[in-house]
Amino acid sequence: MGGELKTIAGTAAACVAQVLWVLLLAPLVEGLVRKLTARIQSRQGPPIWQGWFDLLKLLGKEDLEAAEVPWLPRAAAFLSLGTLLFMACVLPLGAAPPLGEQTDAILLVHLVTLAGLGALMAGFGAGGTYSLIGSSREVMVMVLLEPLLAVAVVAGAVHRNSLAVAEAARGGVFAAEGFPWSGLVLLVVILLAFPAFVQRVPFDVAEAETEIMEGWLMECSGPTLALFKYTAMLKLVLYSALFVNLFLPWGEGVGGVGAWLWFWVKTGAVIALVATVAAAHARYRTDQAVRWFGMMLAAALGALWLAGLGY
Amino acid sequence: MSPGQGVIASLLTCLIGAVLCGLTASRRRLTGWLALAVTALSSGLALYAAGKALALGSIEPEMFLKVESLGFALTLHIDGLSAFFILLIASIALPAVFYSIDYMETYPEYGVGRYYPVLLVFVAALYGLVSTTDMMWFFFIFWQMMTIPGFLLIRFEHRRAENRRAALKFLVMMEIACLATMIGAEMLAGAPADGGTGLKYDFASVSSRLPGLLEQRPVWVAVAFGLFLTGFGIKLGMWPFGRVWLPDAHPAAPSPMSAMLSGVMLKTGVYGIMRYFLWLVPLERRAAYPAWEWGAVMTVLGTITLLTGTAGALKQEQTKRLLAFHSIGQLGYILFGVGMAMMLLGMDDPRLEPLAVTAFAGALLHTLHHATFKSLLFLNAGSVLWSAGTQDLNRLGGLARWMPWTAVAALIASFSISGVPGLNGFISKWALYVAGVEGWPAASWLPVCTAIAILTSALTLASFLKFFGAAFLGRSSAWVGQRGRERGRLEVTWRMQTAQWVLAVICVVAGLLPAVTFGLVQLALKAGHDGLGAVFGTMSPATPAFLAGVRTVGHGVVIAVLVVLGIGAGMAVAWLLSRLGGAPRRRVAPWLCGYVTHEDAMRVTAHGLYGHLKSGLSPRGWARMMRPPAPRPRDRRADAPAAGAGSKEFGS
Repeated sequence: MGGELKTIAGTAAACVAQVLWVLLLAPLVEGLVRKLTARIQSRQGPPIWQGWFDLLKLLGKEDLEAAEVPWLPRAAAFLSLGTLLFMACVLPLGAAPPLGEQTDAILLVHLVTLAGLGALMAGFGAGGTYSLIGSSREVMVMVLLEPLLAVAVVAGAVHRNSLAVAEAARGGVFAAEGFPWSGLVLLVVILLAFPAFVQRVPFDVAEAETEIMEGWLMECSGPTLALFKYTAMLKLVLYSALFVNLFLPWGEGVGGVGAWLWFWVKTGAVIALVATVAAAHARYRTDQAVRWFGMMLAAALGALWLAGLGY
Repeated sequence: MSPGQGVIASLLTCLIGAVLCGLTASRRRLTGWLALAVTALSSGLALYAAGKALALGSIEPEMFLKVESLGFALTLHIDGLSAFFILLIASIALPAVFYSIDYMETYPEYGVGRYYPVLLVFVAALYGLVSTTDMMWFFFIFWQMMTIPGFLLIRFEHRRAENRRAALKFLVMMEIACLATMIGAEMLAGAPADGGTGLKYDFASVSSRLPGLLEQRPVWVAVAFGLFLTGFGIKLGMWPFGRVWLPDAHPAAPSPMSAMLSGVMLKTGVYGIMRYFLWLVPLERRAAYPAWEWGAVMTVLGTITLLTGTAGALKQEQTKRLLAFHSIGQLGYILFGVGMAMMLLGMDDPRLEPLAVTAFAGALLHTLHHATFKSLLFLNAGSVLWSAGTQDLNRLGGLARWMPWTAVAALIASFSISGVPGLNGFISKWALYVAGVEGWPAASWLPVCTAIAILTSALTLASFLKFFGAAFLGRSSAWVGQRGRERGRLEVTWRMQTAQWVLAVICVVAGLLPAVTFGLVQLALKAGHDGLGAVFGTMSPATPAFLAGVRTVGHGVVIAVLVVLGIGAGMAVAWLLSRLGGAPRRRVAPWLCGYVTHEDAMRVTAHGLYGHLKSGLSPRGWARMMRPPAPRPRDRRADAPAAGAGSKEFGS
């Protein structure tokens, strides 16, 4: 019994450490991304601590609630952030995840959906015209994106014959018996759709500041907005880490601190790529984005069939 | 009292109750309470019978009313599978009837004499249908006892032409299904080869003849099974039959009856497919039976059904019609699961058999879970109709403010059907996904079907965001506001609430404690009678684990309590963060770019949601989207201003 308690306490401590680490890191990454974007566009850009400053300021500002039932958007913001924090305990982030034994890859896919669901509940809950347009677009994107991720995870599970996150979602896509065609196709597909996962240009149709004024976020302010901003920052970090896990598992054989550092270097590279693409592109139209994701989904399903055949 | 006697008693209680309710029909509320008492008694008896059958394990068939020359006898065999379905019928019928007491007040112009008695006969038929082993006479009797009351209840509001049409369609389709199944039974029946009960159409007799037939006339047997699949497929709404009758029939009936139709009646089709395809073939002669082929057919049909049903739902703007399309979609998941289980069994590989059990357990659990959340959703739709007086999502909006308790119950049901972790829909879908992913050795395309199922789950979420968002969230529509002002209060009565919340609590508890529901399935499969399906009884679908979670082969794990606690802890952190700055809150109107007031015409209605997705899901819309855009006239002009210049420029 004592040993069991110790294990539980150890797992809990590891979870807390992991959560604190991503909570501290995410706003800093946001600052770096904004600096990088500014430099690409020949601007000076804000200081790298700007992500932190924004959050602190918003947390103290008045919360203007437009919803007729205001607890719903509020709870939705908690749900989004809470889900991502839980995901930080499930996902390998340079080391074995604290809750790797108690969760599986199917849950991981559903957590991604759940994090998006919070945003939608907020948008629908506020009920403003623009927030509903934004929510409608967000749903269209989400419906096509989540299966893309699911396909990548499923392909990994098929190759590795296991649904454990550390197996299916850690380079599993390349573990084919023959030449890993499915893994390569999926790498290309997810890479081409990745900005949408982290809600960045060219696929940020649901926010589209210049068009529908942040869409579903429009009626959020003060702490609620701060939580959604925080969620977006965490999404960039965690989903990039997920991408590294899925498709770039190489070079972590050294173990220990070296592997951990190398993992975050790779994640940083993915984030930099996302920022560069975002800085250099214009937004797609919604119909273009939907068509694009539809084609990517068709390609991914084809790749999954190849995975079933052993490639 | 033996399980068989228990079911007979329950059946007779319903029938006597039907007569009594017919006699008191002039007094509406009294009749309602009487029907509730009868249902409670019959449900109690049925639950007792099911519980006893599960506790005893394997029991023998019991025979009543035997006429040997005709092969006629009421043989009841309450094995694990039957007990599972009896449990399902009993636990949905009770809340549905309780809900009816107040709900039927919305029909002052229609007498309840045409509702309660018919409903009770309908419930009695369901009990009979899932426990009889007579494939001809009593199958026919119970099927008609289910179909004709169903027809009468669908055309309950008979002054509306569309309801009469829907009911007629239902009747015709159900009779075709009945005929197909009975022809199939006739093709397989004959002089019993050995043993059996000596009755021509008894399940055991047909089963004993089947191995010989499979060897001599495989095509003949295949045609018979094809007829079974057609018959029960029509019942459960399988593609391409589902669309013909189901979306019209469900919305036409009074809401508690819609809940029974979708939650329970469709499941008799599932029961028929499970029973005939998995238990008719003797276990020791399984090699001759093309289980993989039939499984593949069902898996593919299930995948098509779940995708097309849900895609159809996305376009609906009437609450109950939307839910009816989702019934097709969700029943597709169940068919998909049964098909996978048969494919995996047909591989004849002991390593794949645990996965077959997982698939079958997933299908059974989804049957149970769909019954709870879909019945709840129909009751919610009924509550909306009761208080707002419309099924049209475009006219609804902002009901969460007016009927908060119903809103939360509807939210639980909507999340549950969409597979949100922590609720019961996730558990059964999870089991199906595990089997579909890990079952890839059965067919290389099986993971693709699973991915389509996952995609459909996302579509389901989109559709229920529309249902819940358009009806309950957002701003009160002019229609709802006016109703609210007229009536003062829109929330439904405590009796209707209780019925809804009983089902909502089941959704949550079954979602949090999968070990319990998996245990129930295991118990049911262990108590199954002989046949190919008996394989399932020899192994457990999953092992219970830490904090009442379950694990399956291939490292599939679901510990719902942990997930909920983990996300809850994360939400607590988020709440703490949001209160750090001590920010005040203020209620304001949504910002409208300077327009002073929010007009009803500015609302984004259900019709306006998901435009590109809806068009992309229809073949013609897909073709239009894929066509390269025609060059715009002004692009062809050489002297046109540079693209992006002029009024289209917003700056970035």
